[in-house]
Amino acid sequence: MPFQLVRSFTIASLTMFVLVAAVLTVLKAKEGEFFEEAQSQQIRFFNSVQENFARQQDQAALRDLLSIHESANVSLARLFANSLWERNFAPYVARAQSLDVDACRALPDNRSAAGKAGTPLERKACFSEIGRKLEAFKEFKELDARVFEAMRRSSVFKVKVFDLRGITIYSSEHGQMGEDKVSNAGWIGAALEGKASSELIHRDRFSAFEGVVENRDLISSYLPILAPGSEQIVAVFEVYADVTPFLAQMKNTSDTIKNAAAANQSKVEQVAEENAQAIGRNAKYLLASVVVMLALLFASLFAIVRRADRIIVQQAKDRERALQQSAQSEKMASLGQMVAGVTHQLNTPLAFSKNNVSMAMEILKSFELPLKVAGAFGKKVAEAEGDYLTIDLAEMRPQLAGVSEVDADVSLPMEMLGDTLNGLEQMRELVENLGAFTRLDRAMLASFNLNKGLHNVVYLSRSVAPASVTIVEDFGRLPMMECNPSQLNQVFLNLINNATQSISGTGTVTVRSRTDGGRIRVDIIDTGSGIPDAILPHIFETYYTTKAAGAGTGLGLAIAREIVQEHGGEIRLETTPGVGTSFSVFLPIAAHSSNNPV
Amino acid sequence: MEKKKGTILCVDDEPGILRSLQWLLQKEFDVLTASSGQQGLVLVQQNSFDVVISDQRMPGMTGSEFLREVRKLSPRALRILLTGYSDLQAILKSVNEGEVFRFINKPWSMSELPRIVGEAVAIAQAQSTSPMIEEVAATGELDSGRDTILVLDDGPAMPELLLQAIGSSRRILHARSLAAAVEFLSSENVSVIVADTRVANTDTTRLLKMLKQKHPQLVTVVFSSENDAADIIALINQGQIYRFVRKPVTVAVIKTVVAAALGKHKQIMDNPDLLKRHSVEMISADAETSLMLDVEHAAVRDHASGNQPRAGASFLKKATTGFTRLFRT
Ligand SMILES: Nc1ncnc2c1ncn2[C@@H]1O[C@H](COP(=O)(O)OP(=O)(O)OP(=O)(O)O)[C@@H](O)[C@H]1O
Ligand SMILES: [Mg+2]
Repeated sequence: MPFQLVRSFTIASLTMFVLVAAVLTVLKAKEGEFFEEAQSQQIRFFNSVQENFARQQDQAALRDLLSIHESANVSLARLFANSLWERNFAPYVARAQSLDVDACRALPDNRSAAGKAGTPLERKACFSEIGRKLEAFKEFKELDARVFEAMRRSSVFKVKVFDLRGITIYSSEHGQMGEDKVSNAGWIGAALEGKASSELIHRDRFSAFEGVVENRDLISSYLPILAPGSEQIVAVFEVYADVTPFLAQMKNTSDTIKNAAAANQSKVEQVAEENAQAIGRNAKYLLASVVVMLALLFASLFAIVRRADRIIVQQAKDRERALQQSAQSEKMASLGQMVAGVTHQLNTPLAFSKNNVSMAMEILKSFELPLKVAGAFGKKVAEAEGDYLTIDLAEMRPQLAGVSEVDADVSLPMEMLGDTLNGLEQMRELVENLGAFTRLDRAMLASFNLNKGLHNVVYLSRSVAPASVTIVEDFGRLPMMECNPSQLNQVFLNLINNATQSISGTGTVTVRSRTDGGRIRVDIIDTGSGIPDAILPHIFETYYTTKAAGAGTGLGLAIAREIVQEHGGEIRLETTPGVGTSFSVFLPIAAHSSNNPV
Repeated sequence: MEKKKGTILCVDDEPGILRSLQWLLQKEFDVLTASSGQQGLVLVQQNSFDVVISDQRMPGMTGSEFLREVRKLSPRALRILLTGYSDLQAILKSVNEGEVFRFINKPWSMSELPRIVGEAVAIAQAQSTSPMIEEVAATGELDSGRDTILVLDDGPAMPELLLQAIGSSRRILHARSLAAAVEFLSSENVSVIVADTRVANTDTTRLLKMLKQKHPQLVTVVFSSENDAADIIALINQGQIYRFVRKPVTVAVIKTVVAAALGKHKQIMDNPDLLKRHSVEMISADAETSLMLDVEHAAVRDHASGNQPRAGASFLKKATTGFTRLFRT
């Protein structure tokens, strides 16, 4: 398949453009993914920062709450100690020591089947008994009244007092009096180490000074009580303060923070989403504009290439047309050159034939009288009756005077007419050769005997060439070949004319044909001037000629080569200046015709 | 058999032509034939021919080459060239080297050819009684004659070249028009005319042809860029021009050609019998009339431009009387 510029360009550039677009798309998609990944990482980080912050905030608030309330409870306990200790508590505590607790403590642990350790009911009852005894103290009533008095309308819901044995010697919730707290961590810390400790607890139900309350958050603080003016721990207070409103507030704050964080988060996510979308959009715009630009580039390149292709095609056509035209005009020029020679060739037989016919006619005219006489005599003989014929000689003599002078030999006019016939034959041969040569058809013939064409050309060249140049035919047996005879005629006429023109004075041109390596080879060998090295490279150029203006167009060899190449053949030559030149035309037997100009 | 009028040689490579010529001419003449120049030359050396007819186109030796040799070997024989086509170079050669008597075109006319040959035979035989003709050697050497040369050319170059070629030993007249030429010719004794075929856009060949008819002692040399072989053939057949040279020309060529022409003129004057060798075919009456008209036109034009050699009111009359004196006496 021949190379087609536009198609090749289209395929190559479209493939390239599609490739570029694909690569760009992939790269852009990768970039989008990477961006999304970075953004979600950012979001996660932001999220964790916020969460961390909220948690710390919560913890800090709680710690603050505890420490604030603990110190409040400490002050409260000190207040109690200061205001109630001497009069109410000290005697009460001293009296409580009189109650033996060891008996209760000695009650054995009884383990339930489930293995769950618990205070045995007997022991609980034993301690409750101690509580009732304490309640029965006459000091209790006043103390209790004063405690209730002091705590009324405060946030303290409950107050307990433990002695150094760990027995609950007072509780504003009377039911809890007498309970053993010796193993309670808060009590241990306060009683033995003098350390205050607090904890946040939640109670669904709680009996406070004001009565039973529900759903409360409380801070319970174990506080060591020092005897006024000494560093000696004398008892442990447990104070329950209500922090439900604080906690609610705290929770509120925490919720607000959480909400804010969530809002931030969602905002960040929204922004991220928007960014991602924007980036996606941008990527799409970018891709679209790249595609549009590529399309524009392709369109303009395509237009350029197509135009170039048209120009190239047009140029090729023009060149072919120009060559065809010059081939035609060259042919006309060589025909014109031939006309002179052909005129002579035609004139010669024409001249003697015309002369002979006129002379023969004259002779025939002189035969008229003798023939008439013979005719009349014959008639008379036929009409005569008997064996004798009477002729009046006197009457005839003057009429027959010329007859005797006539040379009755018919061989002379016969010879004249015979020559004329030869002359006509010569003219016929010439006309036939001329006709075969000048046939202007451009058709390929499937089987043509090249020797026939060569003979034709040689015949005509003989009439064009000076008579001092001998053209010798040396034809070998050739297979029939496929060719355009009228074009090949032109090739050989050009070569033979060049050969005869190279000879000044006498010389010989040999036209030899034979097969050579599966090809037909025709040699035109002259004994002419030869071609000097200086001009040898140029002889095949169009319009290159060393002949006088008007004598040569310089197209002969260019056209010969063009035609031979179109037949798939080649022209070679050997030349020796001063000795002669030999042009060889090689032609394939089955010419592959190529209509493309070369 | 009666005595034939003369002996002629026909040379052609085509046997058909030779046989036909023989049949045509053998009634009146003894005809010998040769099929090549070489064969012909052998016969010329062995026989004394009155007329030699040759074809131009022959292998080996061309007609003009052959006739040149014949002229050297047998100057008495008149030479006729048969031409079938117009090879200008060959024709110029046959004019200048072969000094042919006539060109005959193929195909020839059956009545004309024997007549021309008869004429030529008569001329040749008339001279066979006079002393042998010495052909002018083309040495280019000038003798010391006192001749007048008329240059018929509308440019100034030719007279100058001529002056350079032959110096001032001869009188050189320069006519720029037909009228001027006619006037010079009717009043001066001109030996040689050096002419172009066209002067001031007018054809001069009719004048040259008519001059030769009436004044055969004039030797005509034509320098021209004319390259139509048929015109040159007509100039030979009707004008018997002595030399035809293609322009442009060099001083050396002019010198050789004019010297030869002056020699030829001297020879003719010394031996008037020779004049016959330069007899020409008659020009037609129409051509004569048109020439007369052209001369008158040229005279009118010359007068208008003040160009004529001798000014006068009766310029037209002068031209006419000059013409009459030249041609009607
Ligand atoms: N056989 C040859 N012997 C010597 N020279 C040759 C021969 N063939 C070609 N040349 C040289 O090659 C030149 C180009 O030949 P080509 O046939 O192309 O043009 P041309 O013969 O000059 O003109 P045209 O063919 O149109 O008459 C000739 O002018 C001549 O110098
Ligand atoms: Mg050529």
